[in-house]
Amino acid sequence: MTSARDIASNLVAPPDRTKRKHGSSLRDRPIILLNILGVFAFCITWALVTERGWVSPLFLPSPFKVASEAAGVAATHELWWAIAASSLRVFLGFALAAAVAIPLGVLMGSWWPAKALLDPLISLLRPLPSITWIPLTMLWLGIGEAQKVAIVFMGSWIYVLLYTVESTKRVDPILIKAARNLGASEFAVMREVVLPGALPGILSGLKVSLAIAWSCVLSAEMVAAQSGLGALIWSAKDWGNLALVLVGMVSISATVLVADLLANRLERALLPWERHRRQN
Amino acid sequence: MSVILSAQHVSKSFSVRQNEDVLALRDVNLDVYEHEFLCLLGASGCGKSTLLNMFAGFTPPSQGDILLRSIPITGIDPRCGMVFQSYALFPWQTVRKNVEFGPRMKGLPANECRSVAGRFIEMVGLHGFADHYPAELSGGMQQRVTLARSLAADPEVLLMDEPFAALDAMTRHVLQEELSRIQRESLKTVVLVTHNIDEALITADRIVVMSPHPGQIKAVITNDLERPRNIDVQLSPAWGELKKEIWSLIAGDVSLHAS
Repeated sequence: MTSARDIASNLVAPPDRTKRKHGSSLRDRPIILLNILGVFAFCITWALVTERGWVSPLFLPSPFKVASEAAGVAATHELWWAIAASSLRVFLGFALAAAVAIPLGVLMGSWWPAKALLDPLISLLRPLPSITWIPLTMLWLGIGEAQKVAIVFMGSWIYVLLYTVESTKRVDPILIKAARNLGASEFAVMREVVLPGALPGILSGLKVSLAIAWSCVLSAEMVAAQSGLGALIWSAKDWGNLALVLVGMVSISATVLVADLLANRLERALLPWERHRRQN
Repeated sequence: MSVILSAQHVSKSFSVRQNEDVLALRDVNLDVYEHEFLCLLGASGCGKSTLLNMFAGFTPPSQGDILLRSIPITGIDPRCGMVFQSYALFPWQTVRKNVEFGPRMKGLPANECRSVAGRFIEMVGLHGFADHYPAELSGGMQQRVTLARSLAADPEVLLMDEPFAALDAMTRHVLQEELSRIQRESLKTVVLVTHNIDEALITADRIVVMSPHPGQIKAVITNDLERPRNIDVQLSPAWGELKKEIWSLIAGDVSLHAS
C-alpha cells in the first residue's frame, strides 16, 4: 500500500503474476535434492538390514521382495482392482457426506435455531471413531458395499459439517450488508455471498475429511470385506505374506497422495480469486 | 429544489452496558436536496457515520424519522446506495462481476448488465481491469470499483462513509476531484461523511458541520467556490476564508476530544 505504487498502478499495466514463481525456483533446488536423498537413504538402510540378514525376513521382507511382489499383483490386476474398490467406496461415501453436510452446515451457520437444535447431537456424535459404527452398520446393511460406504460417510460427514458451519459464520458481515444494500434478496445473499464466501473453508474441510474417509474405508475393509486395499492387507497377513502387506501399505500412501493432489487441483480451479494470495 | 432525503427530530442512543446508554445523536433535523453534494463534517464522535447508517437503513433511529421522498425508511433500502470505507468488494468476483451485481439483482438481462457495468468501469477510469479480481488491485483502484458498483446499481442517493480515509494523500486527492466530476456528470445526490475539511471543500455544495457529545448539527455552510475546484481555487483567498470559518467551528471539539 505504498503511495507511489498506488498512483503508478492507476496508470500502468496490470501487476505481473508470474514474477515471484521465477525467483523461488533456485532456492527450491537444494530442498528437492534433500527430499530425494532422505527417501534414498531410507531405502538403502532397509535393503542393507534385510539383505545382510540383520533383520529376519519373517519380520521385515527386503525392498526387492516387496518390489517383485508388487509387480506380481500388478500383473494379475489384483492390486488395481483393490485400489479401484477402495477408491469407489471412498468416493461414494465422501460424496454423500458432502451432499448432506454442506447444505446443512450453511443452514446451521446462517440460521441460529438450526444450530441450536443440532449442536448437542453433533457433540455426541463427534467423539465416536467411525469403527465404532461397524457393528451397527453390519446389522443394518450387511457386509456389502453399502456398509463400507456408510462407514466412510459416518467418519467424514461431521468434519465437513463443522468446517462448513465455521466458515459460513465467518463470512464478513459487511459483504452481506453490501449485497442487501445493492438490492439482493435473502436467497440471493445466500447464493452470491454466503456460499462463495464460505467456499475456501468448506474446501479445507473436504480435504481434511478426505484423508479421514480413507482411514475409515481401510478399517471397514479389514474387519469384513472381499475386496479393497484393507482386505488385501488383511488376507496377506493371514497367509503370512508380509511383502504383500507392505505392497498394500505403500499403495495406500500412493493412492491417498494422488487423491490429495487431485483435491488441490480442484481447489485451485474452484477458487480462481485466491491465486493472487497464494503467490504472495 | 425538492427534498429527497430528510432526518426529522432524529436521536440515536446505543446501550454500552446494562442501564447505561450513550447518546450518539440528539434531535437532528436535516434535509438533503435532489442532485446536491452534501458533506457531513465533524470530529470523531459527532455521530456523522451513525446518521449515514440510518440513511442507509442499517440501523433505525431511537427517536424521530428518516424519510426518503417523504416515506419512512424501515430497513436496508437499495435506493440509498452505500460506498463503504473498507470497499466491501466481493473477492470472488472480478471487477466486472462486482459492478454488474446491482443490475443483476434487479433482474436485468445479462447483456444489459454487461453494458451498464462497462459504462461505469469506464467512468471511474478502470478500463482494462474489468477481468481482474479485487485483490489484484491497489487500494485506490478498489475504491473506484466500489464507487462504480454503487453507481451501476443506480440508487437515488449515494451515501459515502469516509470513502478515501484509508488511501494515501495523493491518491485521495485525485479521487476527490474525480468524484466531483462524476457527481456533476451523473447528477446523483451524494451524502459524504468526512473529517477532512479539504475533502468537503473540494466536493460539497453544502457542508453540514457537526459537533460531538452528543452529536448534533452545529452549522450548515453553503460552499459557493467555483468548479472545478482545482489547485488554483484551492490557493484562492475565498478557499482560505471558508476553511478558516469551518475550522473555527470544529477546533474546540477536536481539542476537547483529544484531552
